[in-house]
Formats: sequence, C-alpha cells, structure tokens
Amino acid sequence: MAGVNRKLLLDCALCPNMCRCECPVDKEYGREAVSPSGKARLAHLLLEGHLDWEEDLLEAVSSCLGCRGCRLLCPFPELDLCEELLQARTVERPPGMVLPAAAPYLNNLKKFGSPYGTRPVAQASPQGGSPEVLYFINCTAQANHPRSPQLVLELLEAAGVSYRVMDQYCCGYPAQIWGDMELARQLAEENRDRAAQSGARLLLTDCPECWHTFTARYPQWGCELGLPVVDAATYFLELVQQGRLKITPPEGIGSVTYHDPCIWARVAEMTAAPRELLQHIPGLELKEARPAGRETRCCGGGAMFQLTFPERSAGIARRRLEELPPADAVVTSCPFCRENLQVGGGKVLDLAELLGLAALR
Amino acid sequence: MIERLSRTIQEERLPAPDYELIAKKLRHIVGDDGVSASGADRLATCRDYWPMGTLWFLEGKAPALPDLVVWPRSTSEVAAVLRLAGEHNIPVTPYGEGSGALGGAVPLQGGIALDMKRMDRVLELDRDNLMVTVEPGLNGARYEEYLNRHGFTGGHFPQSLRCSTVGGWVACRAAGTFSTRYGKIEDMVVALEAVLPDGKVIRGRKLPRTATGPRVDHLFIGSEGTLGVITAITLRIWPYPEKRIYSSYIFENIERALEAIRRLVQAGARPAVVRLYDPAETAHHFPDCEVPAGHVILIYLFEGAAGIVAAEDELAARLAREEGGVAAGPAPVERWLETRFNVSLASKLFRQGAVVDTIEVTTSWSKAAEIYHAMQKALLEVEGTVLATGHYSHVYPEGAALYLTLVGFPPGDKREYYRRLWNAAMDSCLALGGAISHHHGVGLHRGLWMAQEHGQALEALRMIKDAFDPQGIMNPGKLGLGEVKKWPE
Ligand SMILES: Cc1cc2nc3c(=O)[nH]c(=O)nc-3n(C[C@H](O)[C@H](O)[C@H](O)COP(=O)(O)OP(=O)(O)OC[C@H]3O[C@@H](n4cnc5c(N)ncnc54)[C@H](O)[C@@H]3O)c2cc1C
Ligand code: SF4
Ligand code: SF4
Repeated sequence: MAGVNRKLLLDCALCPNMCRCECPVDKEYGREAVSPSGKARLAHLLLEGHLDWEEDLLEAVSSCLGCRGCRLLCPFPELDLCEELLQARTVERPPGMVLPAAAPYLNNLKKFGSPYGTRPVAQASPQGGSPEVLYFINCTAQANHPRSPQLVLELLEAAGVSYRVMDQYCCGYPAQIWGDMELARQLAEENRDRAAQSGARLLLTDCPECWHTFTARYPQWGCELGLPVVDAATYFLELVQQGRLKITPPEGIGSVTYHDPCIWARVAEMTAAPRELLQHIPGLELKEARPAGRETRCCGGGAMFQLTFPERSAGIARRRLEELPPADAVVTSCPFCRENLQVGGGKVLDLAELLGLAALR
Repeated sequence: MIERLSRTIQEERLPAPDYELIAKKLRHIVGDDGVSASGADRLATCRDYWPMGTLWFLEGKAPALPDLVVWPRSTSEVAAVLRLAGEHNIPVTPYGEGSGALGGAVPLQGGIALDMKRMDRVLELDRDNLMVTVEPGLNGARYEEYLNRHGFTGGHFPQSLRCSTVGGWVACRAAGTFSTRYGKIEDMVVALEAVLPDGKVIRGRKLPRTATGPRVDHLFIGSEGTLGVITAITLRIWPYPEKRIYSSYIFENIERALEAIRRLVQAGARPAVVRLYDPAETAHHFPDCEVPAGHVILIYLFEGAAGIVAAEDELAARLAREEGGVAAGPAPVERWLETRFNVSLASKLFRQGAVVDTIEVTTSWSKAAEIYHAMQKALLEVEGTVLATGHYSHVYPEGAALYLTLVGFPPGDKREYYRRLWNAAMDSCLALGGAISHHHGVGLHRGLWMAQEHGQALEALRMIKDAFDPQGIMNPGKLGLGEVKKWPE
C-alpha cells in the first residue's frame, strides 16, 4: 500500500481549512479537531512523533466519512484527504490499536463476515451454466432492509437475466477503515475466488462503497477481482432501455427527490444514469436537491458512521434532509443513504424498491 | 501526550484553578458532549491562522493551550458558562473557525476555549424588511448559501468566506471583497445580542437606526471577544443581484489607476469589487492577460439593478480612459472569481521553510500611492524578504485599503525576522498617517501598536473593557488592552 503522502498531508495541515464549509463532519460536530485541516494537523503531529497515538487522537483522525466534499473546493488536485487519513490510520498506527466504537463491529466482521453480527443468509441462487450477472448483496441492505436485495433479484428474473448471488462476505472496506488490513485482504481474496468460480460476465452491486472497494481498493491490496463491476442504476437503465422491464406509474408516488450518494457522484461520477432511469417512470416528477449531483452532501452514512457514531451520523442526515425539497419519497442508490435518511420520518426508497413498485406488479 | 508539546507562551493564572471540578460543573450546563479536556480538542483550538502559530505548529509546539473546550448551544448556556468562569476567575476565549490572522483566538492564559460552532442556526429571515438573524457560529459560505436559496445575498465575501463564522466577522470588524457596494460588516449589522462577562444578556433593537445614545450592542463590533460573547446577529440582506458587469483596465502605473478609482467613487459610483494590483501581483495573478511588463491591472465588478450598474460601468470606462487606462475586458475578472479562494501557495511556501504573511492598512487618497511605495521599500529592506507585493481593495470616497503580501526566507531565527518585518510595516504605515489595520483586526500581535494607533483613546477603550469585564476573564491579552506578561520568545 502507498502509505501517507507526507508532503500533501502537511500542505493540508497548513491550509486555513478552505473546504470546511463542505465537510459534513465539521458542520455537525462543530469541533476544530475534526475539521478537514484539523484532522490533517493532528495526523501530521502523530506521524512526526510529536504526539503519541491515543484514543482521542485516533477518534479524531477517524472522524471522516470519506465523502470527498472537501475535494470540491480543495486547491490541491492530487490531495484526497480521506485517503491520506485512512493511510495514516491503517499503515502508521500502532498494531492492534482499535477505535473503541468500532471494536464490536470489527469482531462481528471477523466472526460472521458481516459487521452487523449475523451471518448473511445464503439467498437461493439458480445454479449451473455461466450466468450473466453475479449479484453482490451488500451487508448493510441485507441487515437493515433485506427486501431491497430481494427486489433486485426479482427484477433480474422479470427481465430474464441469468444471475447468481454472492452474499456471504463483506467487501472488506469496513475492515480497512477500522485498521485491520489482514482481515480486509482475507475478505478480498475470498470474494475474488468466489467471483472467479461463478463464471459470471459481470458483477452487479448497488453499494457505492463495495463498488469503490472492488474497483479501486482491491488492486491496491494486490487482489484484482477479475470481473467488470457495474452499478445497479446503470444496469437497470440498460434493461429498461432494452425494453426488458415494463415500467408503469408507481402507486402513491408522484414526485421524488433524488439524493446523490457521494461516492457515486464524486468518485464514480455517476449522476446521470439514476436520473435517466427515473425519467423512464411515467408521470414521475423529479425534484432536485440543493446541492445535488457532484456537489451533493453526505447523508452521514459514509465510513460506517451509522455503526460507530450513530448520533452524529443521524445529525448529519438531518442536515442533509433540510436540503431536499418536499416530495412523496426520497430516492437514493446506496444502502447507507437509504437507511440514514429515514431519520426524518419520511419515505425513503432505493432504486430497486422504486423500480419494484414500477415494474413488478 | 500534550506535555510532549512544549508550552511556549502560556501565562499562568493564579491560584491554579481546579479544572476537573469546573468541567464537572460545565457538564451540568452544556451536557457531557459539550465539554472536552481531550488532547485532540485542546490542541485543535490552541491557535488560529496567525503565521506565528503556524511556525509553532511546524516546530511541534503548542503556543498556548486551553484547559477545556466548551460548546454552548444557546444564549442561556453561554450566560451560565460565563457566570461559572467568573466564579472561578478563569479566562474564556471565544473561538469561531480560527481563521483570524493575528492570534486573536489563542487562549493566552489557558482556561476555556468557547467554541461557538454549535450555535449555527438561522433564527429568522425577515423578507419584508430585508434582515436575517443568525447565531454566531454559522459558517460564512453556509450563511450565503442559505440566503441564495431564498433569493437573497448577504453581500459579505471575505477570502475566508468558507472558513470563518458570522460571529467571527463581527468580532473582528471584517470586510468582504464586495465591500465597496455592500459595505463592511459594521454597515451590515443591524443589531446584536451579546452576553456580558457577568452573564447578563443585552439585545439591540432590530431597527435601521436609533438615536437613543450610543448603541451598546454595536460596541461588540470589533471587540474580538474581549467584552463578552456575541450570541445572535441581525444583518442587512439584499435581493440577489439582477445583473453583473465585469470590466478591467490596464494602466502604466498605480498612480494613474488610483486616480481613476478615486474619481469614480467620489462621483458616487459603488462597484461591488474594486481591485488594483501592483506590477508583481498583476504578473502573478493574470499571466494570460497580456499586460505589458511593469503595468498594473484594475478590475471592477458591478452588480445590482440593471440600469444602475450599466451607468456605473459607463462612468468607470470614461474615467479610466481619461487616466490613460486601456480596457482589458471581462476575462481578468472571471479569472479573479475563479481563483479568489485559492491560498495553496502559502501552504507550499510554509512547508518549504518560508515565512508568509499579509498586512492590510488604511490610507487616505492623498497618501495612497506613497504609502504603498514606502511600506514595500521598508519590507524589502528587512533581510530575508524575497517578496513584498500589494493591491488596493475596499475603496471609499476618503481613501482605500492597501493589502501587502510578504514572503521571506529568513537567514536566522524566523520569529526575530517576523518581528522585524512587522516593525518595518507598522512604522512605515504610521509615519504616513495610515491606520495599522483595515480589516484583519488586532488579535494578539497588533496589540503592540495599539497605543500608537489610538493615543489617549486606548485608555478610554481600556476603561470600557474594565467596566464590562472587571475580572479580566474575556480573552485576556488581546486588542492591546492588557499587558502580555510572557510574550512569545
Ligand atoms: C485565507 C484567509 C483570508 C482572509 N480574508 C479575509 C478578508 O477578506 N476579510 C477579512 O475581514 N478577514 C479576512 N481574514 C481574516 C479572518 O478570516 C477574519 O478575521 C474572520 O472574521 C475571523 O472569523 P473566525 O470565525 O475564523 O474567527 P476566529 O479566528 O475563530 O476568532 C477571531 C476573533 O473573534 C473572537 N470571536 C469569535 N467568535 C466570537 C463570538 N461569537 N463572540 C465574541 N468573540 C468572538 C475570537 O475570540 C477571536 O478574538 C482572512 C483569513 C484567512 C485565513
Ligand atoms: S482538504 Fe484541501 S481545502 Fe481542505 S483543508 Fe485540506 S488542503 Fe485545505
Ligand atoms: S472526506 Fe468528507 S468527512 Fe472527510 S474530511 Fe473530506 S469532507 Fe470531511
């Protein structure tokens, strides 16, 4: 792994926090220690040996959603602060040191292959042949709203797509953010082997963190997945365009606000496909959030904050909800956003759930 | 952990307070998550963007540490915290987003760093009367975003818009880059709510003007945390501008360009943005604008009602022509808009061992060119200075602000260099009748020149401070009001 780019980290530490207005953690916590540059300063002092790794410092440099809001305004094009902080936490911290808030979930991950503490139930998966799609069921949807991955399968069936399911192990990202690289690699290798065995043409995921882990982190960990990875919005859009899914107006939903998940919007730069997909739903009005698209703001669910810092995570979600115009439902395409944006009490659906209403009667 | 970072300037307050007990009492006021004694939080609020603080950071030192960081969520919590601080005679330093450039938020005697950022709500948008009331911890860019969403603008765009709070603007008497049209923060503040050191709350009337004696609430504009804590601010707002016009002109020298600007504002025009760059800054900021070497560029941005801005633009063009200016179109203004928040060079230079700072002063028109030449000369004479450049912004019928940017690679001790640099700047400014600060304020560092700036008036300011804060708990050592016993060495 690359390790920390000390020069860039120091540039950030010396910056007067010119992006802090875009940092959801900064705005929710109101603490200097977790402002973008504040985290970089503490990380710099730790790496230079001016400070010893202690719990409060580890907590501060872990207080990053990985949402890359800071990158929207950062004048250093090569700097990706969340990745530098991640490297500082994984590569530089003393071995065995775990954030107390993450410890139980890391244990779950070791024991069950999911941070949520239950072994994922193997979904019935058609056998034989070489399927078109290997659908990777993410741990968050499986634990919190299992109906949604079920709907993905039903939609695939309805469109006549041959598929197989992969749902036993987490992608490994949570292990990395909590500092256990050995576990992260182990999970990656399991997934790589299972993907290879499936004989599928592509891997389908509806979780942006899993997508990012498969496409960008696995190669960094020396473990290529060996399959093209496609996001659910793009894939379902293709199915709809090919006429393989019949869309009718969903009952009770005349208008939606689309919340762009930050990784899809800023890392994958995937903002058009979900909107196009929504436009295929007859009579549906799309109301744009402000800010939206690439400038979206995190729902507070990044970097597993829902588990480790639930109150803060909910606070960030409440702030995001204030930026969404009223509509019959908020629609999103990430299991974390789907879960977190429910704090306001309104209806929140992921794309599969909305498509389920529109295409599965 | 924190002990490994040496304390270099902290003054002791005697007798030593029992901070464990105080923290316990504070938790009753602001809740468990409203108080922190953790190393991470104390370190993070130990400085602002004063270059001296940056030097300490690079050396792995903490200039001064608060003993506790406290986050109030309401005016009544602020009042209770101040009463408790008074009971225990411990200092309180308000903290916004720490973008202050002069050490104003450095907790010189430890005590409580009162972080205002959890008071960040918009309390009232009064559309009919064009006023908004906000809490002080609201971030500047978020403030403007809120107003834009509702069809308004706040008109206040400091370069630190994205990293400073509305409360910090008021406390520092800040000025934004669009100030020639919208005014400085003191022109925007209608009324303030503030908590006095004894916990009493004062509230100004939300009315355009009063003639009922001096406005006590307005005393807090520029008070830099020394009189009490600002807890709510009512500001003027404007409808989002209907039209914008960009124009720019190239002149042979700053003298002719200054004349064009002076005539324009004295004729009554109010461009939102007026910026005149010296030859070095012209070459640095506008490399693609084909300005002949040694020439200077002047940019204007007009905004507001279409008819008014068109007339202003026309007048500006005529006056520029009469002073020998050559029109250079809108591109330089667009370039400025794109790059105005980019301060990355300072990070890189600090990392490479430089000392970087900016100094802004106010001058009358009659001394405007002379003060630039004199200050630049004085600064370049300080051994180690490699760059002393300048631009004018914020213009008035009476004069303008001059803003100098300094880079030095000092041969010896950086702090000694820094001291000499500032001595040179302040002496040359005062000698030509300039004011030592236009908008960054005083903080810790400029306190050294406050007596020269104010004369007898500083004594009067001290009397006001003593009347508000007889125990001297509010941000001690700042604004040049109190003696700093352990000055950084
Ligand atoms: C890159 C950069 C560009 C800048 N550009 C400009 C500019 O264009 N114009 C300009 O005017 N300034 C500018 N500044 C200076 C600085 O941003 C301003 O002084 C700003 O107003 C400080 O706000 P803050 O919230 O960061 O306050 P802080 O730095 O946290 O505090 C400043 C002072 O105000 C006090 N204070 C803060 N909040 C309160 C409160 N609620 N009640 C009482 N006292 C309080 C603090 O105790 C301290 O003394 C710039 C700074 C930087 C780093
Ligand atoms: S991420 Fe970029 S803009 Fe933000 S504090 Fe760091 S250097 Fe500054
Ligand atoms: S990635 Fe997001 S949470 Fe992390 S520092 Fe940047 S803006 Fe803040």
